[in-house]
Parts: sequence; C-alpha cells; structure tokens
Amino acid sequence: MSGEAHSMTAAEQGGSDELMQRIGALTRMLRQSMRELGLNKEVEKAAAAIPDARARLDYVASMTRQAAERSLNAIDRARPLQDEMEATAGALEVRWAEWFAAPDALADAKELVQQTRAFLGAVPASTRATSQELLEIMMAQDFQDLTGQVIQKMMEVIQEVEHQLMQVLLEAVPEGEEREDMQRRLRQQWASDTARNQDSLKNGPAIQPGGDDIVSSQDQVDDLLDELGF
Amino acid sequence: MIDKDMSILVVDDFPTMRRIVRSLLKELGFNNVDEAEDGQEALSRLRSGHFEFVLSDWNMPNLDGLEMLKQMRADAALKDLPVLMITAEAKKENIIAAAQAGANGYIVKPFTAVTLEEKLNKIFQKLGK
Repeated sequence: MSGEAHSMTAAEQGGSDELMQRIGALTRMLRQSMRELGLNKEVEKAAAAIPDARARLDYVASMTRQAAERSLNAIDRARPLQDEMEATAGALEVRWAEWFAAPDALADAKELVQQTRAFLGAVPASTRATSQELLEIMMAQDFQDLTGQVIQKMMEVIQEVEHQLMQVLLEAVPEGEEREDMQRRLRQQWASDTARNQDSLKNGPAIQPGGDDIVSSQDQVDDLLDELGF
Repeated sequence: MIDKDMSILVVDDFPTMRRIVRSLLKELGFNNVDEAEDGQEALSRLRSGHFEFVLSDWNMPNLDGLEMLKQMRADAALKDLPVLMITAEAKKENIIAAAQAGANGYIVKPFTAVTLEEKLNKIFQKLGK
C-alpha cells in the first residue's frame, strides 16, 4: 500500500485531492439541502424510531419464547397421562386375552372386571386433563397475532427510514422533469403512508407495561367500563 | 339459556386468531361460526346473511373494527346486533371509544378461554337471552 502511495504521480495526487474536495462539497451540499428541506428533522425522527424498534424486537423475541415454552410445558404434562392410559389399557388387554384363552378361573375374571372398571372410571379425568393441555397449546399460538401486529408496526418504521433515504437520493437527481415527477410520486406515497400510520387508536399490543393510559389486564378493562357505566 | 346454535361471525385479519377464537367457541358449544378477514368483508356478510353475534378485532386493513361497529350502529338492520371486541389495543381511550361506539364488550389480547366465556355470558345476560 505505502509503496504504491509513494510511487503515485503528481497528476494522480492532484486527482485524489480533487476527489476529496468534491466529496466534501457534496456532503456540505447534502447537509445544507437537507436542512433547507426540513429533512434533518425527518431523519431525527427516523433515528428516534430505532430504540422503539429495538423494544419491539425484544417484545417479539420474548413472546415467541414464551409461546414455545408454554406449548412444550403443556406437552410435557400431557404426555405422561397418555402413556399411563396406553400402558394400563395394554396390560388389561393382555390379561383379558389370557383369560379368554383359558376361561376357567372365575376369581381371576372377577378381579379383572374390577380393574377394568376402575380403569374406565379413570379415563375421563385423564382425557379431560389432556384436553386442557391441548387448549393451552392452542392459546399459546396467540403470539402469532400479537407479534404480527408488532412486526407490521416495525415495517412502518422501516418505511419511514426508506422515505428519508429516497428524499436524499432525490437531491442527487438533476433538476428537471424527471426529478419533479419523482418528487410528486414520493410526496403522494408519503402522504398515504403517514395518513395510515397516524391513527392514535391503532397502536397494536402494548410492548412495555406501564403508563397511566394503558390497561395491563382484563380486570382493568372491566373496571374502566364499570366506572363509565357500560 | 344461551342458544348454542346461534350464528356467529368472527372478524380478524390474522387467520391464527380466527382459528383460536373459532376453536374456543366450539369448546363452548357454538358450532355455527363464520369468519371475515376485515371490517369490509364483515359488513357485506352481515348484510347478506343472518348473524346473531359478532366477535371483532380492531386493527384491520381496509375497514377497522371500530369503523365497522360505527357503520353497524348506523344501519337499521344491524344496529342491535351484539358486538364483542377482542383486540390488542390496550389504551384507555380505545376502550372508551369502543364503548361509546356501541360495543357490547371489550376483551384485551392476550386473553383466556375463561375470559371469553365470562364476557359472552355477561352480554347474553344483559340482553336477556
């Protein structure tokens, strides 16, 4: 590297200086035009959205982890119930088969009948418990809706950043019809995007607990409605 | 006693949530359940078919749940149809806005099967069914 630098001709040296100057001038121009257009404020806004985006990603990570754990825990609780029923039914079946092969011992049959009845009596409790765990697994899937909404919000943030970059890019297009056309299209898109994003009643899930204006449980919803007389 | 054969419309833009709500309703004995993926589709289904109960999300494309509710209340044929909101929107102003627009109940996501059953019972009790 340094060897090459040393062997640089005077003309090349002059060329790279000129390049640096041009980049410097371009940067200054960019900064100035951003200020003139009020873009620096927009960029600040986009930058401010980044910590919020981080909080949203945290929310998505923790919700998906919780959902997976909830499901796996429910499966761990349900499996022994299933195994137990299978084993007991299998053992009874074997003993009945044996008895039918040699149906002499009446005492054996009596005992078998009692044990079979006890098993049948116990099955509904086990299947009910299993159903409860299946319900738990189903409810754990609500993360898809909640994280989906949060991801949609994040996409709005990304769109905002994209707008800033597009606007900066536009400054590099020489003035004329093409630029005006681009500007017009960009403005239209921007207007429709922000109109969609500015509904204060559409915030999606509360990603962080707290805040006086946010309820954190169904009980609080019910209390509020009661207070209002609904 | 609640009529378990009543026709119910579940409105949500997330298929997973529609499936969950539908399964919960089935668990509670309601089998006559239909689905719509936004307020617009819900309104046209409500206007063309016979429904006795609506469970709706809030934040949906095209037409959101609140706007749908307002249009229902302004429609002579749909103004008395009970609507239970099931939404992730947890701001107090959301709950107030929904109540003022004529929602019969408000469940905030994530919710439990018990909560859904409770709210359904409460609404039917109030309606005297």
